[in-house]
Amino acid sequence: MVLSDDARAINTQHLGFTMSPHEECGVEEAVRLIEANQGESVVVTLGPPEAVEQLRDAMALGIDRAIHLHSDGREWDGESTAAALLEAIRADEEAHGHFDLIFFGNESADSAGYQVGIRIAYALGRPCVTGLKKVTLEGASVRCEQEVEDGRDVYVVPLPAVLTVKEGLNLPRYPSVPGRMRARTKPVHVIAPTRPEPRLELVRLALPAGAGRRAESLGSGPAAAPAVVEVLVKAGVL
Amino acid sequence: MTLASFIALWLAVAIALELFSRRALRLYRLVRSGKPVARFDDVPARARAEATDVLGQRKLLQRLVPGLVHAAIFWGFIVLFPTILIAMIGAVNPHGTLPRLGAQGWYALLVDVFALAVLIGVGAAFVIRKLVRPARFQGSHLGEADLILGLIAGIVLTLFLWHSSQIALGLNDYPAAWAPISNALSRVVAPVAPVTERVAVWAHVLIILSFLVYLPYSKHLHILVAAINVYFGRTRARGRLEPINFEAPETEVRFGSGRASDMTWKQMLDTMSCTECGRCQDVCPAYYTGKALSPKLLIMAMRDNLFSGSTAPIVPNAVTDDIVWDCVTCGACVRECPVNIEHIDHIVDLRRHLVMVESRFPEEAGTMLRDVDRTSNPWGRPQSDRMQWADGLGVRVLQPGEEPPDVLFWVGCAPAFDERARKAAVSTAKLMQQAGVDFAVLGPRESCTGDPARRMGDEYTFQRLANENVATLNGAKVKKIVTTCPHCFNTIGNEYPDFGGRYQVVHHSEFLAELVRDGRLQPAASERTITYHDSCYLARHNDVRAQPRELVAAVGKAVEMPRNRERTFCCGAGGARMWMEEKRGRPINQERVREAAATGAETLAVACPFCTVMLDDGVRETGAKLQVFDLATLLHEAVAGRQTAEEL
Amino acid sequence: MSVLLLDEGNDVSRQALTLARRFGEPRSVPIDAVQPFAPDALAAALATAADELDATAVVAAGTERGNEVMARLAARSGLPFAANCVAVELGNPLTLTRLRWGGSLLEEARMHTALPLLTVAPHALPVDQGPAPQPVNVKRPEERELAVHVVEHIQPSHGGVSLADAKVIVSGGRGVGSKEGFAIIEELASLLGAAVGCSRAVTSAGWRPHSDQVGQTGTKVSPEVYIACGISGATQHTAGLKGAKRIVAINSDPQAPLMLNADYTVTGDLKEIVPAISAEIRRARAGRTS
Repeated sequence: MVLSDDARAINTQHLGFTMSPHEECGVEEAVRLIEANQGESVVVTLGPPEAVEQLRDAMALGIDRAIHLHSDGREWDGESTAAALLEAIRADEEAHGHFDLIFFGNESADSAGYQVGIRIAYALGRPCVTGLKKVTLEGASVRCEQEVEDGRDVYVVPLPAVLTVKEGLNLPRYPSVPGRMRARTKPVHVIAPTRPEPRLELVRLALPAGAGRRAESLGSGPAAAPAVVEVLVKAGVL
Repeated sequence: MTLASFIALWLAVAIALELFSRRALRLYRLVRSGKPVARFDDVPARARAEATDVLGQRKLLQRLVPGLVHAAIFWGFIVLFPTILIAMIGAVNPHGTLPRLGAQGWYALLVDVFALAVLIGVGAAFVIRKLVRPARFQGSHLGEADLILGLIAGIVLTLFLWHSSQIALGLNDYPAAWAPISNALSRVVAPVAPVTERVAVWAHVLIILSFLVYLPYSKHLHILVAAINVYFGRTRARGRLEPINFEAPETEVRFGSGRASDMTWKQMLDTMSCTECGRCQDVCPAYYTGKALSPKLLIMAMRDNLFSGSTAPIVPNAVTDDIVWDCVTCGACVRECPVNIEHIDHIVDLRRHLVMVESRFPEEAGTMLRDVDRTSNPWGRPQSDRMQWADGLGVRVLQPGEEPPDVLFWVGCAPAFDERARKAAVSTAKLMQQAGVDFAVLGPRESCTGDPARRMGDEYTFQRLANENVATLNGAKVKKIVTTCPHCFNTIGNEYPDFGGRYQVVHHSEFLAELVRDGRLQPAASERTITYHDSCYLARHNDVRAQPRELVAAVGKAVEMPRNRERTFCCGAGGARMWMEEKRGRPINQERVREAAATGAETLAVACPFCTVMLDDGVRETGAKLQVFDLATLLHEAVAGRQTAEEL
Repeated sequence: MSVLLLDEGNDVSRQALTLARRFGEPRSVPIDAVQPFAPDALAAALATAADELDATAVVAAGTERGNEVMARLAARSGLPFAANCVAVELGNPLTLTRLRWGGSLLEEARMHTALPLLTVAPHALPVDQGPAPQPVNVKRPEERELAVHVVEHIQPSHGGVSLADAKVIVSGGRGVGSKEGFAIIEELASLLGAAVGCSRAVTSAGWRPHSDQVGQTGTKVSPEVYIACGISGATQHTAGLKGAKRIVAINSDPQAPLMLNADYTVTGDLKEIVPAISAEIRRARAGRTS
């Protein structure tokens, strides 16, 4: 990882962008639910203009339309992100009716704040279940399976609800090219929200100092097997 | 001449023509309904192909004995063609014949000689099919072939019987001495000549007319279609695939072949040209190692599916998924095919539909496609890691805006991200530095050429990468490119021109061979025995066979494998199979390693990063006593060795 | 000065306690205070307790449950929340350092709030050696706070050792080569009573189920020994290894990122090395019993 000169962002030259893995599963789940139940799906993101590519990717999977909140390139913390998304969701619900389900990734791959979905659920007054690996519609409720250390915990909540999901929920499809081509013309509604002063304010980023692991070589090839066994014995597992 | 015989002949001809044309018209309409493809350019090249491949029987003669057998029958057919008309005239009027030609002694001689040649050919064909029984006929319709050979024999035998009877009755217009065989036979048939003359000529005509009707319903259709198929064959680089135009209106974009109606007219012609000879099957590495794919059976299945009028998806109804993914795109089948069927185009088109429309492909390959799409390389590693291989080498990385070097060294993804493929790039860089070559690399600005995506059928991702790379290369004003990877070499050299990228592209074996020839690199010769494995994308798709051998000769003693040069046997990585698992049969790479080990050589030399990895794996898996090295590494050792020797 | 801790009663919570003590005298709300588990009710209990104690901060371990409950507390109270912190500097505003990218990047931030809500990244701080904090009295939750609660628990279907609990994990990456290639990994794992893990490349290729995946979006593990076979060590994967005490990396590429960041390395072909280790273990065991 290389940081920008002012150490407030990652140097993204030569890097490709993609949707967070948890979120991609959320998109796939939304597409599957609409395929099975009729209806409409919307994908929304807060990000720079280039983020429209990820919206097009989501629409290539089958999402009907997109809302793009332009972040003007600045850093938005979890609370500010949730506030902006909330406003966009409220406006959309007023215009097009309420969402039966809103999916979020459990946490984003980069800043991992764990809070955007939950904040929006509370603001909308809807039940929120997090960390889901399986989602099943049951009439006017939804049955949710959350992965825990010794198996899965099950919740059942009524619609409308907010769910945060994790990778492993499903295997996202590989988008078909006709799907990608159609996605190029699907509607993207652009909003430019005002960024509030963040209460969790980024000062700078830093790379962690040295891994701290010594990388002692035990040898090469099968001849190193006895040395490995010795390490296992010393660790008390053999 | 009797009115009855006149009417009888015309009736027979009319019926035969009606039955024939009904079917022929259906086939013609089918081909006309095929999707468009541009095969009307470069008429001189097409005419040349007709001359060498059709008239000259070039591809057939790649296997000498069966080739001569067929050539005899084919050339015989051409010479004997006028005798069909002569026989029809003679059937009606025993004294009639074609004006002038019918009286020519030289023509009578040709007819006798070629009729005998055809008979010998048919006899030899029966010997091959019934006694030798080559494996390539497995799956072919042998009964049909026997019938066709029988009919041909019948045609020639009735011709001899007729001519000998004519001579016995003095009905010949040509001097009998000029038809020695028929003349000799005439003494035998003389007692019954009045009967045999009529019977033979009518039998001859009727057999021919029945053959005409049978023709469009059998694989003998090839005598009409093959010459046309050859004419419309590929004239551009063998390694180049036809791009899809994604900018066309959505309803007009052809995403490969999903159903029979998606095939191009050329592909339909291909399936109609197949004679089920099985030469392609014989050389296919997948078939050889027990996989589901046989190029012959594939084309036959596509043909049967096309004729059946089925609108069901080709995969999995006529062709299974396994068959489609087994192919390594090595091109051995295309090279063998006597009627120039383009098997790879069929397979890639099936893949295009499966990948781009149905998203239906082996899961492990999906990882590679996603990685290529997102991180611009099939290893899924960050682009910023692309220069790790060159740590400490002092290789110049071309920055945007800088003056381009004489030669751009296109490293490729394998040397950047695979530790075994790295050595070739390091050796090549060091050798170029030693020889004082002005070169640079693009570093993190290099993206995958897109070859694995394209061979898998993901044309969309390929074109995105191609356009990106062409923009980078054109922006850097690059003129000459050298690369260690034959796939990059093929794609940039043969396929990028379709996207506005025209450069002089050279494989590192060619480039280094030139440096050695010019004396700029001086390797020490040695007694080390080396067997060189020709990469498919170098030796077969692009005819680079001599220069790697120059390098081998310069650094050691060459020992050739049985399947060498344009007959080379694939390492198993092509067609994006590097990223797929072999689920059946014997591993292709192990097969090739066994062949290499059998030569007794100590070293297995390669010129491709994929061959390096596949064959190195094969050596470890089989425990063969071989060491796998890229030519660049061998050359570098030899050059360093010479210097050390000179310093001492 | 009081600080409130959401206590899961394990080492990870005691690591969080180390940081919590910086803010004052710790009191705790046990995570099992509400049965069955109902995260909104716990958040409400934390809010009430923080109010009654006039707490200077509310802290929890950065576990899935910890992050979830604290985020709900933040949402209902309209306060900012910083997850996975590794360091704090008291002051007004509070300065903290937290993890991004599963630990591959550090974020230094200022928190402008009267009541900081923080979770502490697991395995980043030492376990607190002091006495356990005194739990507060948790009142009976209101109905609406119980709306989201666990109705059922499903035991894992496979009998094997769970990744999250395992003391030893033998893990395979792209280098294993195929689904069948995992046989040698499973063999070594069964000899050691270990769980089998894998990298994301392996689950994407369909060789192993997602439940075996170790990494940022898979399971985060904290074994005594983690044996990585043919794993290059993308940040996605190493983000799940922060808790591993010892990492043994086996790879043919000595420059692979995980080879540079392991405790012990073996260079070479895992297809030869892993069976050799299994054989050596059998030999060592046979030697001991004889």
